Amino acid sequence: MDETCQHLSYREEGDGKSFDTARAFCTVTESFVQPMRADVCNARYDLDPAADCEFYVDPESEAAEDEDADRGGDGAE
Amino acid sequence: MTYDDYIDGKPAVITAALTGGVHGKEAHPDLPETPAEIAAAAAACEEAGASVLHLHARRDNGERAFSTERFQEIADAVREATDDAVLQHSTGGTAAPDALRHEPLRTDPAPEMASLDMGPLNRYDRLTSENTRELVSSLHAEMKERGIKPELEVFNDGHLNESLAILDELDDPPYLNFLFGGGTTSPPHPRNLVNRVEALPEGVEFNVIGFGPHQLPMTTQSLLLGGHVRVGLEDNRYYEKGELATNEQLVARAARIAEELGRPVATPDQTRKLLGLRGR
Repeated sequence: MDETCQHLSYREEGDGKSFDTARAFCTVTESFVQPMRADVCNARYDLDPAADCEFYVDPESEAAEDEDADRGGDGAE
Repeated sequence: MTYDDYIDGKPAVITAALTGGVHGKEAHPDLPETPAEIAAAAAACEEAGASVLHLHARRDNGERAFSTERFQEIADAVREATDDAVLQHSTGGTAAPDALRHEPLRTDPAPEMASLDMGPLNRYDRLTSENTRELVSSLHAEMKERGIKPELEVFNDGHLNESLAILDELDDPPYLNFLFGGGTTSPPHPRNLVNRVEALPEGVEFNVIGFGPHQLPMTTQSLLLGGHVRVGLEDNRYYEKGELATNEQLVARAARIAEELGRPVATPDQTRKLLGLRGR
């Protein structure tokens, strides 16, 4: 099972909001995370971010897309 | 509970669901999360007419917590801030392991009431709260042992089947909570509540929750049918479209509607007698 989501960060500001205590922030959706979804982000209770989160993006495929974009390619080689 | 109960002016129990475990301050900046915030909301809701306070626990960063220690901290703060209200701890929780689900029942003193989800329900696109019969039975057994009144959470008709099947195991009066909204909850339509009420054997008390914009109409209909009601930011963040609510406002509105419809708002003492509670 995956560890804590690689797209999770804890922030006090973002998404037009600010908090005294850092809260779960999803860098894919660029928004703070609902408490129940934070269980998925943190892989609590046997939850798996890759399998259980509808916003999850595979970091490897994301990196490949970035590489294609850097080369100016469309990935249809 | 029946329409006759409405005509007879039976007291209506108002439960305030202050915070829940799904959304937090990212969805409503004033949604209470810390023990102090929850206690302050509890006191305001009791003053406005709520005799039952439905409690969830949160970590300092707003995320969900199930531990006895955190529930104890919140329950202590709420008892300190309120006069006589009934505390009802949530045992619900998507994916939380069974052992954790028991922890909210183990505060000292035990809560007078606790929620008991009666079966599976979906959350978002990929999460399911399983609520197996084994878990439901073990939670109910511990509630009986500790003198905690279960509020059976009936999210859909399948859960009604499950509830009716265990009526003989419940202390009088059985207390069912009907939930209406989207997803795997029941379609929020007045005819569906009428059907539910007609399916209940005599002597069963029921409560109604309508999620989001359905909170107001389903609350009103429950009062007309002799039922009880739950309101609060856990279930509905808005007072009306585009206008965020406070817990206190939602309770006060429910109390006004009840009184206008001839249902006096139940005091904590009346609630205890009506539902057969142990006492604070």
